[in-house]
Amino acid sequence: MSEQKKKAYIDIQDVSVFYPVKGGKLFAQGEKPIVKAVNGISLQMEKGEVLGLIGESGCGKSTLGRILVRLEEPTRGDVLIDGVSTHELIRKDPKKFRRMVQIVFQNPFDTFTPRDTIEKIMMRPLKIHNIGKDDQERHKMCVESLEAGGLRPAEDILRRYPHELSGGQLQRISILRSMLLNPTFIIADEPVSMLDVSVRADIINMLLELSREKNASVVFISHDIALTRYISDRIAVMYLGRIVEYGTADQVVKNPQHPYTQALISNCASIDPDEESAAIDIQGEPPTPINPGPGCFFAERCPHATQECLKKYPEYRDLGDGHIAACMHIGK
Amino acid sequence: MSETVLSIDNLCVTYKNRQKKVYAVKNASFSIEKGDAVGIVGESGSGKSTLAMALLRLLPARTAEVTGKADFLGRDLLTVDDKALADLRWKELSVVFQKAMSSFSPVHRIGEQIEDIYRVHTPNAQKGEAKERAVELLKLVNLGDRVWRLYPHELSGGMLQRVAIAMSLLFNPRLLIMDEATTALDVVTQGQLLNEIKHMEETLDMTRIMITHDMSVVAASCNKVVVMYAGDIVEVGPVKKVLKTPAHPYTQGLLGSFPSLKGETHALRAIPGSIPDLSQQYNECIFAPRCPHATEACRKARPEPVQVGEGWSSRCVLCGGGKA
Repeated sequence: MSEQKKKAYIDIQDVSVFYPVKGGKLFAQGEKPIVKAVNGISLQMEKGEVLGLIGESGCGKSTLGRILVRLEEPTRGDVLIDGVSTHELIRKDPKKFRRMVQIVFQNPFDTFTPRDTIEKIMMRPLKIHNIGKDDQERHKMCVESLEAGGLRPAEDILRRYPHELSGGQLQRISILRSMLLNPTFIIADEPVSMLDVSVRADIINMLLELSREKNASVVFISHDIALTRYISDRIAVMYLGRIVEYGTADQVVKNPQHPYTQALISNCASIDPDEESAAIDIQGEPPTPINPGPGCFFAERCPHATQECLKKYPEYRDLGDGHIAACMHIGK
Repeated sequence: MSETVLSIDNLCVTYKNRQKKVYAVKNASFSIEKGDAVGIVGESGSGKSTLAMALLRLLPARTAEVTGKADFLGRDLLTVDDKALADLRWKELSVVFQKAMSSFSPVHRIGEQIEDIYRVHTPNAQKGEAKERAVELLKLVNLGDRVWRLYPHELSGGMLQRVAIAMSLLFNPRLLIMDEATTALDVVTQGQLLNEIKHMEETLDMTRIMITHDMSVVAASCNKVVVMYAGDIVEVGPVKKVLKTPAHPYTQGLLGSFPSLKGETHALRAIPGSIPDLSQQYNECIFAPRCPHATEACRKARPEPVQVGEGWSSRCVLCGGGKA
C-alpha cells in the first residue's frame, strides 16, 4: 500500500470539509453543530485513470470535486498532484495550477457568460494563459478544437452566443474549452445529467477520448451508476462525506459488499426488463451530515445493523485486488 | 377485465403564433386499459409532455390547437366543459409534475395545501377529515405525519415528490399521470418511489401514465411503452418485447445509447444528427435523415403504424417487410 502511495499521481490525503452551522441558539451549550460535508477522504489515482464518484445528493461528492480544483479549501488534509501539494501549487503559481486542473460543470447553460460569443468564451482562457502568439493563432486553435469535437461548421459556431446552441453543443464546448489548456487532471461534475440520452453517449465518448489522448486523470462525478461503470476504471461510493466502498468498476457494480452500495445498485433500474431487480429497501432519506456518528453513518438505515455498528465507525476492510469497503459485517 | 380507461384517437397538437405553426404531436393514437402502467419515452422536444398536457387540458387555448379525441371513461377529455373538467381533475384524473419543489406554495404549510385541495372537491368535509386521509396517504409513501405541519422548504426533493404523489392520490383517481415525476430524484429515492408506486397499484385500483426519458424507469415500472420521436408515436408495445427486440430503428438507437448496468459493456452509440424542425410538415418518415436503415421507400411517404405483434405496432416501413 505504501509503495502504491508514492507512485500515485493524484493523492488525496485525509481531506475533510466542515461547515459551521449558522444561526442556532445564542448561548448554546456544548458542541456547536458542524456539517461534515466531506469527512476524511483518502484516495489515490494514477495518471490517465478515470475514477467514478457515486452517491446520493448531499453525500459530498460535488464538494470533494470543488476541493480538488481548489474552489474550496479543505478544513483538513491536502491533495497532492505528482507529490506537490495543491495548496502550495495554487499559492505559488495559480495560473499553472489552473492549467493543470480543470473542471466541467453540470449545467452547460450556466457555465458561459450569456453576453459573450463562443469565440470570446473559448479564447479567454488561452489569452489568460498566454497560449498562442496572437489572436489569429488562438482562433485557429479554437476552430481546430471545435472541429475535432464534431462541432461543425466551427467558424459559424464561434460567432454564436450561448443561447443559440443546444445543451449538448454547449456541454461539448465546455469540455473542449477545458481541454484547450491541456490539463492533466479533470473533474467532470455530472457533465451529462442535464442532457438527453441520445446525446449523452457522444459527449461521454468525447470526454473519454480526449482524456485518453492527453493521458489525463479524470474524476467523474455522477449519480448514474450504469454510466459511471461504463466510463470509469475505478469507482468510489460515497455516503455522508465518507467513502464506503472503493474498487474497480466491475468489482463495485457486480459484487458490491457494503450494504449501502448493495442497496444503491439494487435500486438502480436496469433497461433489461428481464433482469429481476429485488430492490433492497432502505428506510428513509439520507440523514444530514450534521454531527454524524459516532457509529457507522449508515447504521440507522442499514438492514444488517447491529449494536456494534453504532459504537464506532468501521475500519476499511481489504477484500482483495484493491477492493475495499467500510463495514464491520463483511467477511463474517 | 380489460376495460379501456383512456383511448386516444388521432390526437394532434399544434402550437401556433403569427409566424409559424409547430406540429408538436401528430396523429397520436393508443389506448390504455384498466390497470395498465404506460411509459411514454422520448427525448426532450419529442412531444411527450405536450401530449400529457393536452390530455389534462392544461395547454393555453390561444396558442395551442388540439384536435382528435381522447375518450376517458366515456367522456371526451378534449371537449368536456370547464365544470365537468373541474370535477374530473384530482378526482378521476390527477397529475404529478417533475419539479415538486416548484409545485407547492412556499408560504403555506404542506397541510394547508393538501386541505385546500380536499375542500375544493368535498365542500362539506368535516374538520380533520382531510388530515386523516392525507396522513394515511403520506404513510403510504413512507412519510410521517410530521410533514403536515412543515413548509415545503423544510423537506428534501424526494420528500416533496412523495408529498406530491400522496396528494395526487387524495381521491383515488382512475388515472394518474406522472410527468417525469422521478427524474430529479436520487437513485435510491427513485427506486423506493417506484416500488411504492407499484405497491400502491396493487392495493389501489389505479392506472398510470409515466412520462420519462429514462428507459430504465419504464423497464422497472411499466408494462406498456409508447416511444415518441419528434411528435410522432413511433412505437407502441409491451415493455418486455419492445425493450428486448425493438422494432423501430429509433427505439433501437435510443436503447443503444444506454449503458447496461451489469451486462457486458458495449460501446455507447449516440444517434447521429438532431431532432428535425417541427414547424415543417414532413412527407417522409421523420426519422429517415437520422436512420441507419433508411431506404428510398422511407422518403416517399410518412409511414403508417405497422402491426408487429399483439398490441405492438411501429411506424416504420421496414417493419412491414419483416426487416428492420
